[in-house]
Amino acid sequence: MHKIESKNVNFNYGEFQALHDISMSMKENTVTALIGPSGCGKSTYLRLLNRMNDLIDNTHMTGSILIDGVDIYERQTNVDDLRKNVGMVFQKPNPFPKTIYENVAYGLRVNGITDKNEIEERVVTSIEQVALWDEVKDKLKKSAFELSGGQQQRLCIARALAIQPSVLLMDEPTSALDPISTAKVEELIYELKNKYTIVIVTHNMQQAGRVSDNTAFFYMGKLIEYDKTKTIFTKPTIKQTEDYITGRFG
Amino acid sequence: MASHLETELGKLKNIIIKIGSLAESQVSEAVKSLLSEPGSENKELKKTESKIDKLDLKIDDICQSVFALQQPVASDLRFIMSAMQMSNEIERIGDLSISIIKLTKSIKEKHELISKFDIAEITSEVEMVTLKTNQCFENLDESIIEDIFRLNTSIKTKSATAIENIISEMKNNSKTVVSGTHLILALKHIERISDHCTNIAESVYFMINAKTIKHEKFTDKK
Repeated sequence: MHKIESKNVNFNYGEFQALHDISMSMKENTVTALIGPSGCGKSTYLRLLNRMNDLIDNTHMTGSILIDGVDIYERQTNVDDLRKNVGMVFQKPNPFPKTIYENVAYGLRVNGITDKNEIEERVVTSIEQVALWDEVKDKLKKSAFELSGGQQQRLCIARALAIQPSVLLMDEPTSALDPISTAKVEELIYELKNKYTIVIVTHNMQQAGRVSDNTAFFYMGKLIEYDKTKTIFTKPTIKQTEDYITGRFG
Repeated sequence: MASHLETELGKLKNIIIKIGSLAESQVSEAVKSLLSEPGSENKELKKTESKIDKLDLKIDDICQSVFALQQPVASDLRFIMSAMQMSNEIERIGDLSISIIKLTKSIKEKHELISKFDIAEITSEVEMVTLKTNQCFENLDESIIEDIFRLNTSIKTKSATAIENIISEMKNNSKTVVSGTHLILALKHIERISDHCTNIAESVYFMINAKTIKHEKFTDKK
């Protein structure tokens, strides 16, 4: 069974159809990169995976998206539970105006965990998972804003992991970071796939090559080609994909 | 934690060491065959040849992936470029060794000709040059490069003398023409093996120093 499966997904912002008949599936513990030019629908598709588009007025979706075999757009789906299972990391690091420790602990408390020991254990584990522990262990009580951009982004990833999701969505997670921080986040993504299923939107094709197992190329709301990343970057079958990855597009 | 790229490069290095050692064993078999010692069974040689071919393809595959997906730069880029080059050279060393073994089967009175023309010294040097080449790559030890070039020169000089003597023998004794011709071809193959070793040494030098020393005399190279 696939971890994530989309079947004939169409999505509209009002009259504008942003996605056309997207069908694709993702295996557990893989990294899938969504690439394509601006406005191709990759972020829209990503946000469908934890129903973030529900928050936008005048939108409409048809088709189905299954996670662990369950249609997440069924009426009985609890959206809060879905978002606990499907964490998200955004383009710009967006830590809360709280201490480093509280940034990770906050989500746990909101989700009803009150046991101090459990909170502490999960905070430490999550910060360790993102390879940030050595850098922050002595300043957990300091403001998260004192961290560098790259550290803040890794803290945001730790915050998402603390809730123990099984899927992690990343919307251009390194576009606001310098090359060193980008490399750290990319290595982290590579490590995290052992435990999580990751879907990442990136404008950086080289990044897609470096971090993902599979790559989907979107263009004008359509899924043009979806295959192993190595295949996409060495012998794509569709000319549009070849033109895009070789920079000869348009 | 080691980066994904570092892991891939480590994997690549291990495969090159493995393929290098397989080629080295093929050279030893070729030498044994030439010196009339019982060599490995054909089946075993073919198995090794097939292993070398598979590893050669595996190296191409990893290099292609690393180029396409990891965008290597600086020392990583030089390593990948060299790996592709070295894999070709090593694969050719294996093929040439097999050709030597095939040739030696048609050399009659092998023992007599070998001792007459000092071939044993040349074969001992070709074994040494392949061993040193593998050591040079495995330890990225550029101090060995000079030895490799010296051995290559020595092999060429001794081989040229041996070939001259074999031709004279063939002129004087027409019965030796077939064996002599095969022996000359085997010596030429040995020279080529040694040349491939120097090419690998040049790649190691390029890897370490970011300087190409191809098409130069080694003394002018540094």
